[in-house]
Amino acid sequence: MKKVALAAMLAAALAGCSKQEEQVLNLYNWSEYMPQTVLDQFTEETGIKVVYTTYDSNEAMYARLKLLDESSQYDLAVPSTYYVNKMRNEGLLAPIDRSKLSGFDNIDSTLVNLDIDPGNQYSVPYLWGTTGIAVNGDAIDPATVTSWADLWKPEYQGRIMMMNDVREVFHVGLRVLGYSANSTNPEEIEAAYSKLAELMPGVRTFNSDAPRMPYLEGETDIGMIWNGEAVMGAEDLPALTYIYPQEGAIVWFDSFVIPKNAKNVEAAHKFIDFMLRPEIAAEISTDIGYATPNLPARELLDEEVKADRAVYPAAEDMVNAEVQEDVGEALLVYEKFWEMLKAGQ
Amino acid sequence: MLLVLLPNLLVIGASFMTRDPSDFLSLPLTLDNYRRLMDPLYLQVFLHSLYMAAVTTVLCLLIGYPFAWALARVDKRWQTLLMFLLIVPFWTNSLVRTYAVKLLLASNGLINSALQSLGITEAPITMLYTEGAVIVGLVYLLLPFMILPLYAVFEDLRRELLLASHDLGAGRLATFFHVVLPLTLPGVIAGVLLVLLPAMGMFYVADVLGGAKNLLVGNVIKNQFLDARDWPFGAAASVLLTLAMAVLLLAHRLSRRRLGEEGET
Repeated sequence: MKKVALAAMLAAALAGCSKQEEQVLNLYNWSEYMPQTVLDQFTEETGIKVVYTTYDSNEAMYARLKLLDESSQYDLAVPSTYYVNKMRNEGLLAPIDRSKLSGFDNIDSTLVNLDIDPGNQYSVPYLWGTTGIAVNGDAIDPATVTSWADLWKPEYQGRIMMMNDVREVFHVGLRVLGYSANSTNPEEIEAAYSKLAELMPGVRTFNSDAPRMPYLEGETDIGMIWNGEAVMGAEDLPALTYIYPQEGAIVWFDSFVIPKNAKNVEAAHKFIDFMLRPEIAAEISTDIGYATPNLPARELLDEEVKADRAVYPAAEDMVNAEVQEDVGEALLVYEKFWEMLKAGQ
Repeated sequence: MLLVLLPNLLVIGASFMTRDPSDFLSLPLTLDNYRRLMDPLYLQVFLHSLYMAAVTTVLCLLIGYPFAWALARVDKRWQTLLMFLLIVPFWTNSLVRTYAVKLLLASNGLINSALQSLGITEAPITMLYTEGAVIVGLVYLLLPFMILPLYAVFEDLRRELLLASHDLGAGRLATFFHVVLPLTLPGVIAGVLLVLLPAMGMFYVADVLGGAKNLLVGNVIKNQFLDARDWPFGAAASVLLTLAMAVLLLAHRLSRRRLGEEGET
């Protein structure tokens, strides 16, 4: 009898579960790119559970979405700058219903209606940031470092950290030589390769997963970093300093998009709208150290964060800065030289 | 059978196709991908990868051989415990274990902190992001694959044979080289095969512990699939790796046949 009762209880419990049908939002995002507190708050308010899956490069994210297009594994993804364009053109994205987003007008007007997505039919900007130089002030005086070219100084060899990203690394090589970081000219790319090849023996590690870690591990003292990673890293290593190189930082911004076959489009819209709330956007920017495009959110930031030039650069920091663009088939040229760099040829 | 064959056939098929920027694969069929693999760049990567894998294999063999021997000899209770310890790491994802090795080797990691606080070294020793670190990681991950087949042959190695060898006047060394080694050779070969080829493909170990610098063949394949989105080329590279494995297996088969014939004469 006891058993029967137990079984009945179990059945009732199971039925209860299926009736409520726990809603799930599958979010595909960069690693450590959203504070857990914000995700928890969203779940608390809406009852929708967020499953956060991560990637460490646009290429990986793109290949995954492209392949799993039919199985609709993700409801929301966060591609960078020109990948929005690429994915939109290839019909991988579902249009965003603006009527479900109350906070869209909060976004800085200089970051909407760009070439990558005219009218923002498919994307909503999330955060923007830069790639510049990180210096461990305990080992190197940050005041002596002003440009990408400084990485080539003999005293830093063996202590250098570079991104594990072909476009970002070649940005450095191209800018040091005075070329555009979006060059599609094979000769310029080859020249950048030759320049970077001189640097390779001094590079300690490549990392695009958590680029602050080699500095915190004590393995590297100078090199590339994303500004937000520099801000996060400074919590553990206060001497970690972010520097805007003279030749120009790399500028990128990441946007929410909904994959074409997303299962839970409704929840995806709810989530984007939640992200557009000024207090949420401000919390994210404060916590992970990237700049929010949300103007009312910027008003809510602490003076300390607002004044942190690593997060919110001054106009002079952005001189020469360049936004990453799609280089089309020239990517194969980059890849070829990238492999030669890595193989130490 | 189908589950084994189908993915491989797909890879082989893909390796003859042409790269397509948005659909990954397209016609026409071509041998171009294999021609590109003949580039000295990839030959160099292959040789370097082979070197790393060979060092790993030798180390695994040096550690695994005595361990497997001991494992087959200790009494049952110890055996169960040691076996259990050997299997337990498999319950944790190998990528997670690779990160654990990283925590040990970092400049302010456990080993360096311990050495410094004990006053043995003054400055941290550079261990992480070197070839040595990659090899430590590979040996750590692959050692069980060397031990298990060796353990199997040592289990079958009958003690009477060793006693007989002794009685017939052979010393310890002679017994080892004339009795133990030939009888355990199949286990050695199986272990070598199970370590050598996977070692060449473990790209994440090179990424995490080698600072993504020491390219293994596996890194090239992964980069082509994920970053360059050149699937046909990546497929061609992985077909070649599989072929290398097939050649080794064939050599194994041939050598065993030769050994077998020698045994009969």
